[in-house]
Amino acid sequence: MTMPKKHVVTAIAAIASLGALTACSGGGTTGSSTPVPSDGAASGSVTMWTYPVIADEAAHKKFWDEQIAEFTAENPDVDVKVEIYPWAGRDETLATGIAGGKGPDVVYLIPDQLPKYAKSLAAVDNYITDNTGDLRENAAKSVSIDGAMMGAPLIMNSKPLVCNAAAFDAIGESGNYPATWDDLMTLAPKFKDAGYDVTNYWGAVDATLNESFYPLLWQAGGSVFSEDGTEVAFDSPEGIEALQFVTDLAEGGFVEKDLLTTIPAFEQTRTAQGKIACTWQQGPGDVASFWGEENTVVLPSLKEAESIGYGTVGSLALMKKAENLDAAGKWLAFATRPEASAEYAKAAGWFTPYTSQTGLYGDDATMAALEATLDATTSGDLNEKSREVMGILAPEIQAALIGQKTPEQAMKDAAAAANPLLG
Amino acid sequence: MTTLATPGTPGHPGTAAGTTSPTDLTPTVRRKRSKNSGMDLTLRGKIVRYVVLSLAAVVTIFPFYAMVVLSLKPAAAIQFPQSLIPTNLGFAAYERVLGAGNIWTWFGNTLIYSVVSVVLVLAFSAMAGYAFAKKKFPGREAMFWSFLAMVMVPYHVTLIPTFILMAQVGGLDTYWGLILPTLANAQAVFLMRQFIMDMPDELFEAAKLDGASEWRIFTRIVLPLCKPILATLGTFVFLWHWNDFLWPLIMGQGTDHWTLTVGIASLQQQDVPLNMILAGATISFVPIFAAYLVAQRYFQEGVTMSGIKG
Amino acid sequence: MTATTPSGDVLGTGVQGSLPDGATPVARSASGGPSGPSGSKAPSTFRRTMARREARIGLLFALPAFLLFLAFRFGPAIAGVGLSFFDYTIGDTATWTGLDNFERMVNDPIFWSAMRVTLILSVLIVPLSLAISTFMALLVRRSFRGSGFYRSVFFLPVVTSLVLAATVFTWVFSTGGPWSQLMGLIGLSTDSWLGSTTLVLPALALVSIWSRFGYGMLILLARMQDLPRELEEAAALDGANAWHRFWHIIMPQLKPTLFFLAVIETTASFQIFDLVYTMTGGGPARASYSLVYQIYDQGFKYFDLGYASTLGVALFIITIVVALVQRRLIGRDK
Repeated sequence: MTMPKKHVVTAIAAIASLGALTACSGGGTTGSSTPVPSDGAASGSVTMWTYPVIADEAAHKKFWDEQIAEFTAENPDVDVKVEIYPWAGRDETLATGIAGGKGPDVVYLIPDQLPKYAKSLAAVDNYITDNTGDLRENAAKSVSIDGAMMGAPLIMNSKPLVCNAAAFDAIGESGNYPATWDDLMTLAPKFKDAGYDVTNYWGAVDATLNESFYPLLWQAGGSVFSEDGTEVAFDSPEGIEALQFVTDLAEGGFVEKDLLTTIPAFEQTRTAQGKIACTWQQGPGDVASFWGEENTVVLPSLKEAESIGYGTVGSLALMKKAENLDAAGKWLAFATRPEASAEYAKAAGWFTPYTSQTGLYGDDATMAALEATLDATTSGDLNEKSREVMGILAPEIQAALIGQKTPEQAMKDAAAAANPLLG
Repeated sequence: MTTLATPGTPGHPGTAAGTTSPTDLTPTVRRKRSKNSGMDLTLRGKIVRYVVLSLAAVVTIFPFYAMVVLSLKPAAAIQFPQSLIPTNLGFAAYERVLGAGNIWTWFGNTLIYSVVSVVLVLAFSAMAGYAFAKKKFPGREAMFWSFLAMVMVPYHVTLIPTFILMAQVGGLDTYWGLILPTLANAQAVFLMRQFIMDMPDELFEAAKLDGASEWRIFTRIVLPLCKPILATLGTFVFLWHWNDFLWPLIMGQGTDHWTLTVGIASLQQQDVPLNMILAGATISFVPIFAAYLVAQRYFQEGVTMSGIKG
Repeated sequence: MTATTPSGDVLGTGVQGSLPDGATPVARSASGGPSGPSGSKAPSTFRRTMARREARIGLLFALPAFLLFLAFRFGPAIAGVGLSFFDYTIGDTATWTGLDNFERMVNDPIFWSAMRVTLILSVLIVPLSLAISTFMALLVRRSFRGSGFYRSVFFLPVVTSLVLAATVFTWVFSTGGPWSQLMGLIGLSTDSWLGSTTLVLPALALVSIWSRFGYGMLILLARMQDLPRELEEAAALDGANAWHRFWHIIMPQLKPTLFFLAVIETTASFQIFDLVYTMTGGGPARASYSLVYQIYDQGFKYFDLGYASTLGVALFIITIVVALVQRRLIGRDK
């Protein structure tokens, strides 16, 4: 009965570490990374995870129930299950799921997430050949890594410039909407004097740069990563120019200060209160209920070197380790076919990545204008380290905005910290 | 011991009772007179105390008040202080949160998660506490202290290994998979040990001499004596499970196994108006608050003794 | 300090001896192992058989909890520590890299800044929270009309989820919110504290203290109510004023409890996550980016579990070291 303490501890350690390591190797890289669909009918069960893309939960469920019914009619041996997860904690859920070998077979991802999960994903090219004929080029690019499509585009949105007509009326500049950075800067003091912000800037470090800083970087003609992805490129003169532009806005008091550091509930912001002239970080759908439909004007993205904005693409991705890969691939292709995409997009207030499915919103002029900007969008470079880089860059941008560093210094420091990650 | 021995420290003139020397009084007299000793507050002292306490209470309650009032307001910009005046109230936000179909399933799951965990944690920790307190066995100390050290391991480090383990043994999407890992509760074992250690050994010796089995001694003597600590510990474990979010979220792969916290989060769009966030918060807070009002004493003792908050 | 703890039962009330147990669990257990069974000397075979039987029963009773710990605490913790020696990203295979992660950590400026934030945060929180807890406990320790109400109120934040508290406090601290207007009233800047690199940690510390002082207050209250009144009364009769009575009589007797609280509060302050996550996201300019936040980022945002585990090991070690230091500083005599 007298087992020495030491032995007990060693035994525990051995058992535990053994369990841990076998478990860790669970995420191996077996299986083809560009699977080819089989000719015959697929079979087996498929689990898909998605998120409240359609706000109305019942409507969202109904949409997928109908799709499943239709799909099962063609593939009677496939059992599809769609789970709608909360946005909150979605990376935790998915990451632990994959790590434990219990993730979904198909999952809704945005371009920002794709590189991070790429190792666990199978390319979908061969499954969606029937759909890609009229897929927008930028939508296809936004889901492609090394030439392979890691997600099947399902819906698409654009963040161009949206202006508040009432604010322009209030300062006697009706209809004089800005097209360039200079235009915006010229208007800024006039708005300030009348109690308006010329624009807004969400600078909190956990807000994605995709919608805040990167559009400016692209507009200036810069990019986040170098061509080959081995180093960052945001510290270029274009990048510094973009940061100087936002810093000038912040220092001039032309944007709401709280937004630079925190993320309040939207209706609490000056943006929602209509005390703002233009924004590239909210869509018309976000602001119309606050500004009034009649005041919400959709315009092309601002221009410095070029006019370009951020475009989100919601895609369905296929897990490499899906138990019934073929069934999952076929379901994915079915769920992202242009007709389904159009219906889903409309219910969600989005657009489709397919050029055949335009005019979703009939006579709605705002939505038509928004749809027209889809081609002038990008979702940026897909880089495996894009999130780490964002995590490094965002606080440096913030430091410049609150006057702690010069834009040059901030960019230099960020690049110095980010480059070793890429190497 | 200077203050005790030296009457009337220089620079600190005596208080009301300072004129009498302590040696003049027998303990009895002193106790009798203690009602009027220098420790009792003057009227001014009492007023000051009420003012300070009330200020502190207002500061403490303010966020709760704001939560409830703002959750009842329409989704609009908050103007301080006008928005805190309880006018124009409505239940729109609550209707949206509660209108979801699964809310009762989630409520049931939360109850199962909380109640089953409470019962099992109490059972296992009482048994282990008894063993650690009153039985000598090899490896006892090592075992006990390694339990405690585990409290200091950051949660996010163990989360994934634990999940992987549960996934491999098929615990996902099951009640047992949700509950089992949360039963290893070091604080509970620790508290039970402390409590049982103070029980006199003679109690058990006597029962043993009467021929009672160990199990009988445990269930008939130890457990009944542990009632107060079981109650406090139980409320604490309940509270923790009730508020838990991340673990139920990753373990319940499907809406059927979600708890209230996860379910309410799933109803929220990315841009949720503040009133809906607060309505959701209020909804999950109300049962806890009701329980708190009913079992205040246990709540206070439970959280106090266990050392972490839920 | 001249007024050392009165060693035990000065007034022969018999209360003192049993005091530390309920009120200060950690402090007590820190003093040594559990007291064994009676010290009767009977070196007979019967005695030995009994001891063996006792041991077997002890093991059996501890077994369920032990197995649970083995599976769900030690296993994952050791796996976590083990992972710190691996390069492991989710979706990839793990490769042994020895001390590479630790080398990376030592050379990572973000780690050191996170460490700084973590330490500053607890330096702000722990003493202030102990002071407030003690002060409030002193105010409500005697029964008077409404004392129960005040105690309940002060304890309410403790049972509330931090995410909820953080949501409300984000608004409280916003520009034009209650706190900013209060600052304006006393002539200070009305800028949001959450937007300032110097004031963001005090703001977070205030919220953390709000959410926890009731906890410390109740523990101290439990201890204070066990203190014999006579000592204080004697001092009062001797003319000691309230501050003297507190500092020289009550305070020394609270030391073990304060040590326990200090350890608990420090561990808690090291692991503050929900507040930072909800209120600042680590900003502005990384001014509130704490070590747990970095662990979270590395693990769940960047999926670099190996490095996240390394940071976790660092946090674990710091927690233990600080607890030991605190024990030397405050808890020596117990």
